[in-house]
Amino acid sequence: MSLNHIWAVTRKEFNHIVRDRSTLILVLFMPTLLLLLMAYALTVDLKHIPIAVLDFDHSQTSQAFIRQITAGQDLDLYASATSMDEINSMMMHGQIKAAIIISPGFAADLQALKGLSIQVIIDGTEPQGGEFAVQHISQRAEEFINGALVSQLRAQGITLDTLQPLDIRMQTWFNPDLKERNALIPGLLSMVLGFPALSVALTLAHEREHGTLEQLLATPIGRAELLLGKIIPYIVVGLINVILIPLLSIAWFHISFNGNFLLFFGLSALFMFAVLSMGMIIGVFMQTQAAALALSFLLIFFPGFFLTGIFFPLVSMPEEARLEAMFLPGTHYAIITRGTFLPGVGLDVLWPYAVMLVILGVAYSAVAALFFKKKLG
Amino acid sequence: MNASSIIETVRLTRDYKAVRAVDGLTLSVAAGELFGLVGPDGAGKTTTLRLLAGLLEVSEGEATVLGFDLKEKAESIKSHIGYMAQQFSLYGELSVMENLQFFAELFDVDSKDMAERAERLLTFAGLTEFKERRAVDLSGGMQKKLALACTLIHQPEILLLDEPTTGVDPISRREFWNILTELHLQGTTIIVSTPYMDEADRCSRVGLMYAGKLVECDSPKKIREKLEGDIIEIQPEDWQKSLKTVSGLSGVREAQTYGESIHLLVDSGKRRLPEIKRAMKSSRLKYRSIRIAPARMEEAFISLIRKLEA
Repeated sequence: MSLNHIWAVTRKEFNHIVRDRSTLILVLFMPTLLLLLMAYALTVDLKHIPIAVLDFDHSQTSQAFIRQITAGQDLDLYASATSMDEINSMMMHGQIKAAIIISPGFAADLQALKGLSIQVIIDGTEPQGGEFAVQHISQRAEEFINGALVSQLRAQGITLDTLQPLDIRMQTWFNPDLKERNALIPGLLSMVLGFPALSVALTLAHEREHGTLEQLLATPIGRAELLLGKIIPYIVVGLINVILIPLLSIAWFHISFNGNFLLFFGLSALFMFAVLSMGMIIGVFMQTQAAALALSFLLIFFPGFFLTGIFFPLVSMPEEARLEAMFLPGTHYAIITRGTFLPGVGLDVLWPYAVMLVILGVAYSAVAALFFKKKLG
Repeated sequence: MNASSIIETVRLTRDYKAVRAVDGLTLSVAAGELFGLVGPDGAGKTTTLRLLAGLLEVSEGEATVLGFDLKEKAESIKSHIGYMAQQFSLYGELSVMENLQFFAELFDVDSKDMAERAERLLTFAGLTEFKERRAVDLSGGMQKKLALACTLIHQPEILLLDEPTTGVDPISRREFWNILTELHLQGTTIIVSTPYMDEADRCSRVGLMYAGKLVECDSPKKIREKLEGDIIEIQPEDWQKSLKTVSGLSGVREAQTYGESIHLLVDSGKRRLPEIKRAMKSSRLKYRSIRIAPARMEEAFISLIRKLEA
């Protein structure tokens, strides 16, 4: 292994990144842009879901119920329907996401403490909005029943003070405000920081397409030297992002970073090595940039979304998916980013994930070097 | 095996999935030769050069370059040869000097030698004043010369050049060949493939490839002599009518126009010249001159290919 050879390739690759403006922008700012985009797009709070009501009871009680349901900003009363056909039509046109049907005996049933005779219909083509409406309606309905119960008890001379209600004291650790972004962004980091893997996957195909690879293969450079020389600049650029992105998260999204930054930086370097080696494997096998790009999305980014536990907890995945997730550097790194940001844990907790990153990095770069032949065709 | 041969192949064969690109090539190139590889597109010239450069697996047969077995020691060959691919492309974002330096480092040229050689090669290639310019901003001809300089930076014993002048203007082409001739005089062994017959004429030996096989291998002079028949060159006054008249005559194998003159390939110049004169006269066609001209490489080449295709 000749350091001179590696250094020659690294310098050449650096010049390519720095002098080709589009590459420079891509590798330097893409992670930042991705983070901003995803942080905003993925933490939209549901509000103003349009619903319709079909009231067969026409009582004061049912009117009060409707007012209670639609108070606040969560659900908006789009229309009061007079028939099921109307509901049907509004649902079909996408004007409402849910509908409440109040049965004729609503007020009487409540009076007799027989519960609420209502039916809720939701639009299954957009389950989030519908489910949100159901959740909201059941919560409000419960409050409504409680209110009715209390007034009936009062009428019987029982005051609330003598009741012993259930008393749950809930505590949330690490993210006391339960802000969605606090939880999401450290996880997202593991995804956006893996972005330079894409550039690495493209770099060999780029040389293949431009005809410079043939010339490189005709030189005495060793294949490991070539691959290492090509990966190093992207590790460096990646580490610039490891500094930029947490700063952005702290300054812009007000996420607190409670861990040791040096430890975070070191573990991030391990992650870079592992994820870029994965990109290099793609580069070794794919002949064109288009193919390398497509495969990177298939193997690095989509699994990064669904399998690394950023959005869906790993424990609830089927065994095969969990096994596959173990092979993704992002899975281990997501645990590291989440751990160092909010709870601020150290190496005593994170070491197994660091070890996994080293294993994956060594394995992937070995596979890349093994399958990279200094031959054409 | 020839004692002085530096490249030696015996029934060298390379298969791609569906085609046999090189088919049982047996060739011996002596040290110091300037060997031209000619043949129609798809004849196997590029594959042959890539095999010799250690860039392709050998399918069958044997080959040694500088005594290294191509099957076992392909990597050891690489530091001794300079290979220039047909679609040679430089690193556009790097300057002329940085390109040279990059290849110098990959070939382990130490920095003192590098500075000295770069200076000489740039002068040689006429690129000295452009050494800070980015490769992407050079003209096509200058890029080719820079590419050649990059393949020469480690002073290779063998140069393998795949159509180095394709797409280059005639002046740059001539300059390029002057450099090759200079290297040839210095004793470098050169194998160059070319679609240009005037370039083949400048080689010390020419190999004609056809369908993966080496069908002729001789000096340009001997190959020209193999042309069966002669060339008759006519400068007619009305070349369009004249062409119609003469191209159908017996013994005329081929008629080509060069501007307003006509070149006929005939079986025998002596016999056909009077016949052609007579035919022109009876059609009342005038000519400024008519003569038996020496055959050129191009005609020899085309007639050889025609014969192979038949």
